[in-house]
Amino acid sequence: MHVGILGGGPWGMALAKAARRARSTTMLCSRRHQDGSLKGIKITAELAELATTRLIIVAVPSDKARALARELGKYLDGSHVLVHGIRGLSGDELSTISDVIREETPVRRIGALGGPVQADELAEGRASAIVVGSAFGDVTSAVTKALSGRWLQVHTTRDLRGLEWASALVGCLSIGLGYVQARQDVSPGLLAALISRGVDEAASIAVAAGAKRETLYGLGGYGDLLASMALPDRPEVILGRELAAGKTLQQARDSAHLRIEAIELVPRIARFAHQAGITPAIFDGLTSILTGQADPEETVRALFSA
Amino acid sequence: MPAMRDEAPIFRFNEQRPHLVSRTIDRVVDTTEDVLRSLNDAAYHETRRLDKARRAKDVERLAQWRSLAKRLGRMSEPQRRARLRELVSEYAHDIAGNFDPRVHKLSTRLIPALVTSLLSPSKLPRLVRHPQQLFSLDALRDKVVVQGNVDHLRKLAKNSTLIFVPTHSSNMDSIVFGFALERSRLPPATYGAGKNLFTNPLLSFFMHNLGAYKVDRRLRHRIYKDCLKAYSAVLIEEGYHSLFFPGGTRSRSGRIEQRLKLGLMGTGIEAYTRTLMANKERRVYFVPATINYLLTLEAESLIGDFLSEAGRERYIIEDDESSRLGRVTTFSRQLLGMNGSVVIRFGRPLDPFGCDVDEDGQSHDRRGRRIDPASYVRNLDGEVNLDQQRNAQYTRELGQRIADEYKRETVAMSTNIVAAACFEQLREHTGGGDLFDTLRVRDHVCPRDDLARKARRIRDDLLDLEKSERIHVAGNVRGCSGGDIVAQAMRAFRGYHTIKVLDHAADGLALRDPKLLFYYQNRLVPHGVAWDANAPRATPPAGAGANTGGRR
Repeated sequence: MHVGILGGGPWGMALAKAARRARSTTMLCSRRHQDGSLKGIKITAELAELATTRLIIVAVPSDKARALARELGKYLDGSHVLVHGIRGLSGDELSTISDVIREETPVRRIGALGGPVQADELAEGRASAIVVGSAFGDVTSAVTKALSGRWLQVHTTRDLRGLEWASALVGCLSIGLGYVQARQDVSPGLLAALISRGVDEAASIAVAAGAKRETLYGLGGYGDLLASMALPDRPEVILGRELAAGKTLQQARDSAHLRIEAIELVPRIARFAHQAGITPAIFDGLTSILTGQADPEETVRALFSA
Repeated sequence: MPAMRDEAPIFRFNEQRPHLVSRTIDRVVDTTEDVLRSLNDAAYHETRRLDKARRAKDVERLAQWRSLAKRLGRMSEPQRRARLRELVSEYAHDIAGNFDPRVHKLSTRLIPALVTSLLSPSKLPRLVRHPQQLFSLDALRDKVVVQGNVDHLRKLAKNSTLIFVPTHSSNMDSIVFGFALERSRLPPATYGAGKNLFTNPLLSFFMHNLGAYKVDRRLRHRIYKDCLKAYSAVLIEEGYHSLFFPGGTRSRSGRIEQRLKLGLMGTGIEAYTRTLMANKERRVYFVPATINYLLTLEAESLIGDFLSEAGRERYIIEDDESSRLGRVTTFSRQLLGMNGSVVIRFGRPLDPFGCDVDEDGQSHDRRGRRIDPASYVRNLDGEVNLDQQRNAQYTRELGQRIADEYKRETVAMSTNIVAAACFEQLREHTGGGDLFDTLRVRDHVCPRDDLARKARRIRDDLLDLEKSERIHVAGNVRGCSGGDIVAQAMRAFRGYHTIKVLDHAADGLALRDPKLLFYYQNRLVPHGVAWDANAPRATPPAGAGANTGGRR
């Protein structure tokens, strides 16, 4: 399988290595200087050259997605398959990245990656699972061929919208997870309540956005959030933990180092939920955590009893 | 007739008919993989359908199906295939229409008279004996307004196949749309008409000879549907411009259809792909269109059906206003008596992948970049192939795009605007009650000025939406006062509907028929300007208790 990856950050590199491990002919397009770990992978800085592969996976920060898609779109046609691994929803309309791709490129065979797999697992080839979502069977089968192997299970779903919303919502819920985990008195019961009720609320919100409920309860939703429990270094988890320790939002952001989509996304999702007639107790709780209005005890009680 | 239209493939239909039918038969037989299963499915459905048959022909048919069902398991594969071919051949011959240019020429002069003689074959000879009663097309010119960039469509029609996909609210639609094509010097189109429309011998004669092919909606099994789709695809591949109603049936609620049937729509992509695979690319363009009526002939039956306690939508209604001569005559007189009473608006043409198409037939993506539509049906190895699942998804997306175009190309008429204003009044009166609370209100009297004010406000909101290309506003309500809009609507309603929808009363206007008002206002629901009865119930205003008697 021929596959091109756009994006030279940790996620892009991990995907390139996974494709190489799956014996795909792999090209990585990045303007960053790359280290020697990418032997066997063709490196290019030119979008036009990347476009010579028909299957392209985009792994760039969400704030760069639109401009890059527009640029790349000049070299693409309807025969390309474009899959993204970008967590986030943009604008007040909460557009998905696949919406952005549809607006900025001629491509229709669009997909998204999600699920519990982390960049380092993928890069190192440790056994894990990834989800690819697309309405098109040829997209899911192309990605499966490009990436799957003994160590990486590729699961598929037709619910692209559900998978994208799941990724975004789980990112937000991970903040709550970090917040609660930081408590001295945290119990498995409390964590379980937060995860279960959080995914349930996220599912209702995603359904209002046109997703299928079951997608949130699968690998792309529940699975992804469960992985966060064992990821103290996940940026959203760090953020939650620092906020629980009384830091300001800016201080907490600095500790997390990476840009966190969820900070801006949480209040927008809460607003969307209210407009759709849903009472999002957990997302309201997350909003008050982020705006510093939360009394920690009250917040945890609200999260717990949602 | 202009020379360009004489070249339209439909004028050669009769010579080509055997070839088209034989291609259809071969296509279905060759693409049926599991013959046993298909025949079994057909036998199952047909024995169920004919179970209570009385007519001798049907009883015989039932016996044949039962016999086949018993034998199927023991038949060899070649025997089954032969039986399949016989069945498919029978269906294909039944479906295939006819096109007689002389009848077409006659019908274009007769369309107005056709309207009034929809039912009674006896009426037409009388009209023919008194030709002064025949209207020419000119008489309809101001009554039936045609809008949209028809120059663009004429240009595309020369070397490509057009598939017209209008909205569907009335049995008048195929007639007025046929008129619109003629008026715009666009070529005639083949279309699938329900078999029930062929029961009237006169109408059947015209339908047959205007390129209609017969669709038997009673037949629900796979083989029949495959025959219809194959016939449609073959027609499109061979360049026959086509027409069908993606809504499938007339809108019962008055809302413009937003969930479309995709079966026939999919034949557009299939046909295009097959022309590519045969190295004879013939571009295919979908043309969304809205048919906007000041009054809908069958409004009373349709909304009654929508609201009926029995609830189940009757897919085929055979006993509505279009089957009653008196109603049709009154309706036609009303239609022909008011300017702009029907507005047909052609939307922008789209390729089968929902891309916009320019004057030269080139597809463009949403950023305006040129794109080769053939690229959408290439696999990852760059070869054009028929991938059913992929094409089904493209069709779904095309359906969504067409549904969006329907909203955009809706033309709001005085009856829609005034109905929305009246319904607002009724809802205020019930303090935000549910739909059935509102429909139960009888003879509510509304001060004329209030209604006029509401109508003007709704019209102004629509003009704002028009600026961002989200709807169109009919010419005769654009610049006038709210009172004029109300007067226009009243004049329309008065001349036709059996109950006076809006009536003069001592201290204002009486709203006598909430059901019809509901029907006419529903047209504006997708645009956010009229009440959406399906939306989650809003919190009732404070102090609403007094007026909400009867709320469940």
